[in-house]
Amino acid sequence: MNEPATTDGYLLLGAIAVPLVCSILLSATGRKAKGLVRPLALAGFLIPTVIAFMLWNTFSAEASGSGYLFMTQADLGLSSLGINLKLGLNGISMPLFLLASIVGLAAGVYAMRGDDENKHWYLVLLLIMQTGLLGVFASIDIFFFYFFHEFALIPTFIMIGLWGGRERRYAAMEMTIYLTLGAMLSLLGLIAVYTKSGLNSFDMISLKAHLAAMPLGDVVQQNIFALLLIGFGILVSLFPFHSWAPRGYAAAPASAAMLHAGVLKKFGLYGLVQIALPLLPAGAAHFSNMLLWLAAGNVVLIGLVTMTQTDLKRMLGYSSVMHMGYAFMGIAGFSIIGVSGAVLLMFAHGVSVALLFLLADCICRRTQTCEMPEMGGLFKKTPILCGFFVAASLASIGLPGFANFWGEFTIFVGLWQFSPAFAVVAITGIVISAIYGLRAVARIFYGPASAVVQDNTIEDLAICERTPAVILFVALIAVGVFPKLISDDINMAISDVYKAPVTTVAEPVVPATTQDISNHES
Amino acid sequence: MAPQQTLLIILLAPLAAASLIALVGRRKGLLSAGISVGSAAVQMLLTLSLLYGSWKGEPITASVEWLHIGALNVNLGFYLTPLAGMLLFVVTFVGFCIHLFAIGYSDDDEARGRFFGGLSIFMFSMTGIVLSSSLFMIFIFWELVGFSSYMLIGHYLARPSAAAAAKKAFIVNRVGDFGFLIGIIWCFWHYGTTDLATLESIMHANPVLLTTGTATAIALCLFCGVLGKSAQMPLHVWLPDAMEGPTPVSALIHAATMVAAGVYLLGRIWFVYSPSALQVVAVVGTVTAAYAAFCAFGVKDIKKILAYSTLSQLGYLVAAFALGTLYAMQHGDHGLTGVGTAHFHLTTHAFFKALMFLGAGSVIHACHHEQDIFKMGGLLKRMPITAVTFLVGVIAISGIPPFSGFYSKDAILFLAQEENKVIFYILAGTAFLTALYMGRLFFIAFLGSPRSEHVEHAKESSFVMWLPLVVLAILSVVGGFEGIYPEAIKSFLSENVLHPHGAAHQQMLILSLCLGLGGLLLSMLLYFKPASRGNDFLESNLPIVFNILKGRLYFDEFYNFYVAKIQQRFACVVSFLEQVFIQRLMVKGSGSLTGVVGTVIRGVHTGNVRSYAFWFLFGLVLFWVFAIIGF
Repeated sequence: MNEPATTDGYLLLGAIAVPLVCSILLSATGRKAKGLVRPLALAGFLIPTVIAFMLWNTFSAEASGSGYLFMTQADLGLSSLGINLKLGLNGISMPLFLLASIVGLAAGVYAMRGDDENKHWYLVLLLIMQTGLLGVFASIDIFFFYFFHEFALIPTFIMIGLWGGRERRYAAMEMTIYLTLGAMLSLLGLIAVYTKSGLNSFDMISLKAHLAAMPLGDVVQQNIFALLLIGFGILVSLFPFHSWAPRGYAAAPASAAMLHAGVLKKFGLYGLVQIALPLLPAGAAHFSNMLLWLAAGNVVLIGLVTMTQTDLKRMLGYSSVMHMGYAFMGIAGFSIIGVSGAVLLMFAHGVSVALLFLLADCICRRTQTCEMPEMGGLFKKTPILCGFFVAASLASIGLPGFANFWGEFTIFVGLWQFSPAFAVVAITGIVISAIYGLRAVARIFYGPASAVVQDNTIEDLAICERTPAVILFVALIAVGVFPKLISDDINMAISDVYKAPVTTVAEPVVPATTQDISNHES
Repeated sequence: MAPQQTLLIILLAPLAAASLIALVGRRKGLLSAGISVGSAAVQMLLTLSLLYGSWKGEPITASVEWLHIGALNVNLGFYLTPLAGMLLFVVTFVGFCIHLFAIGYSDDDEARGRFFGGLSIFMFSMTGIVLSSSLFMIFIFWELVGFSSYMLIGHYLARPSAAAAAKKAFIVNRVGDFGFLIGIIWCFWHYGTTDLATLESIMHANPVLLTTGTATAIALCLFCGVLGKSAQMPLHVWLPDAMEGPTPVSALIHAATMVAAGVYLLGRIWFVYSPSALQVVAVVGTVTAAYAAFCAFGVKDIKKILAYSTLSQLGYLVAAFALGTLYAMQHGDHGLTGVGTAHFHLTTHAFFKALMFLGAGSVIHACHHEQDIFKMGGLLKRMPITAVTFLVGVIAISGIPPFSGFYSKDAILFLAQEENKVIFYILAGTAFLTALYMGRLFFIAFLGSPRSEHVEHAKESSFVMWLPLVVLAILSVVGGFEGIYPEAIKSFLSENVLHPHGAAHQQMLILSLCLGLGGLLLSMLLYFKPASRGNDFLESNLPIVFNILKGRLYFDEFYNFYVAKIQQRFACVVSFLEQVFIQRLMVKGSGSLTGVVGTVIRGVHTGNVRSYAFWFLFGLVLFWVFAIIGF
């Protein structure tokens, strides 16, 4: 069990520890040494990003299939319960780890602007969040996987409650209750996996091996999967558990919204892909039809709701809910192609939604309103902001050349194999998202300058706004042009994990669905 | 240099230009114009060197794996066939002419960098479609072309109508792409590949594949993409609005090249079309051709008349493809008859339509953005080169020999006559209408005396603007002779375009002359009377007919009604229900409900937050039970 950690393993541990250390230092020195605040925070965000890129570089070169790399382990005194701090990355978590580091850096840089009295506390919380985010995707131990999620979630609530915009109290409360419940349900599910497996271990790798050899009974699998699906579903705003998202994101301060919508929200999907589906294939097969219906609700119903929004940030919140529907549909299809597409989309959506929230904040601060009908004609004063916003909107509506296209496209292809009808429903999304995306662009930037644009002194993007935007934009384009930067890793990991279950479970999938249909008919 | 490398440079040169402009040329208009025109020149010269060089039409392929996930392989690559070579020639040659023209046209444009950057992105995407080796790759560039079209239609961002037209074009195209993407994915799973060459060999090896309903359905789904991009009924509504863009854009994208992409797509996948699918395609094309020709009489804007003319000609192309392929199936010898005939006309049309659009651009530029033909007049004396070259375009599109339009239209009418008499009469009638509305445009705008001040002071455009006109005018005259084309294209045309011979030839010749000259003469009688020159003949004499034509069968009104009154209201209802049921009942309502329940169960009544959580959890448990019992 205790293999010696490599240098890369220590690097991985370091990437997670650095933001935490920086946040501790910052909270200790913040008020006294103003000059140290920015360098310390920057170090806390930049060093993990550099490490993530180094690890990704090694990872792509080694191409180790489904296996984990950079393993490192520490006994924290809980080993009698089967809990160890065990870190490592595989092809599924590597892109998401990279995502967390990129979005974290962008959100961090954006948070550094301005000279707020309590700026350092804000950065402390953001750094804690970053620790949690990096930890989530690097954890092999399911306990720590959950622990890191909570670690990132709590600062989110505090940031919304303290620095949020309109309705911040209500939004913070609703979000806290919803997400805590979701997290609790998924914790229940995870504990159920732990106890039912009888392995006395939270180690994902040994659990996978064990359950592949001795799968749980179908009913047990179904019950546990239901818990996990609803729990994770709430966290990813699965229809109809989505209402926290638009309100929460509208109220959240920009950097918190970027990190939550961009990265933390992916926790639930990641849990489904990395844990729930491989460990509980029969449960997943049983619920795939239901999941498809709910995800179709995300795409079509929430897509329509998005079309009616007039508040920019709420519209982005709803559109992010809608796009999660694609990811769920990819997962529900239970195929290598669909699940890989979902992981691709998780990366792409994370970057693009972070960019959109960043730009939306830049827009709303300039026009001093988030109501799109009051805006208009902004392009003349802020051509660069306009360019970025158009690019981000087109990315989120799946234009080729941006990473999102590959995610959506792959999901559609994978879903067709499973259910052409649902694939058609999913593809309607490309029209719906084009409608609201372009409508927003036209309302904000095109046409003659409106009163709010004329009256306010409006400058184009400043350097501390432009830098994070460029970071995110480059990430979108790079993966959009060369999807293989991450897709080969994903493919290898998913092909290996999903090969075995797919063949054994392929048969039950069909009777389960036909049974459902006959139930409906009777 | 290996041909693959040449093709790679042809593809990437405009992308490099666009990136360069984005980086350095945003505020330097002339520099970005130079970069963009330079890349177009590189494309054209390399294409010409390839076509007139050693290439004899054998397929050139290259392929790189771009995405590999499970059974899904997306390869990007080139597949250069004579057809692709022909379109590459049209796109790069006409493209270069229009780039040159655009230098002059955009001299008073503040956002020149953005304009030329957009043109270069367009050239990149369009070249991508032409060279694509698979449907997946075509789709990628298809969307990128849509994007560049969106950027360029909306070039005058401050104009609300331009912003609206850009949005409309993108969304209507997305509706088409919805079907197209379904078709591509269906094709992938049904035939196992979307690689064009492989697909062709599969279809030829198993002719029985085409007899199934699935094959027809796939073909029609793919045809949805054509409906959008080539603006066929009922998705034609975006093209007239797209005239909000700068005129060189209209010439390049919305007349000569991009709108032809749909027809080219048909040419690349003609082998997946079953006879029943082809019947549908033929009808759609014919209806579009006739409908748009009528609409042209109801508008007065010079660019919109040309836009309807483009729609009508696109309908011709689509119908020609379907009729020719059906003809080939029945005769079993000329597999590519439809493709060849349609693309012959596509090529000549690209020449004379680009010519007329640039001519219109020259006029508009000289008349300070006056676009109403009834406010023009007398331009022949003031802008002789523009007027004469425009006249060449009018004669060519009217199908009068020996101008290019005659040869290509003649081949289409011949096919229609052989294949379907009803379609033949409609297309022949459309040819007559084409000459009539083109005559109307020419006589009113260019002859007589000026009817507004700007027109009075109009001067001939500069050298960079009239040179492309002259070049395109020459091609509009000689484009019908196969001899002028490079070897590979020449043999492709001579093998696959059916020209009538003997008595049939004489019959078609007489018919074409009657239709073309008849239309022009009638328009001269109707519109070249000094007394009535300031107003439209139909409007003053037959206002009912004029208003019907002006109404254009109320497609736009219907769609606007649908969007505003049905789609948006439905979305509002869904939004309302979401508010009521999910936000109020499930989330907020649980809190207030507790008040009621709390009086019964005192213990629960402890405070808002907790009861709220409680009820929420209760709902979840219910949901879970429900889910396990079976959804």
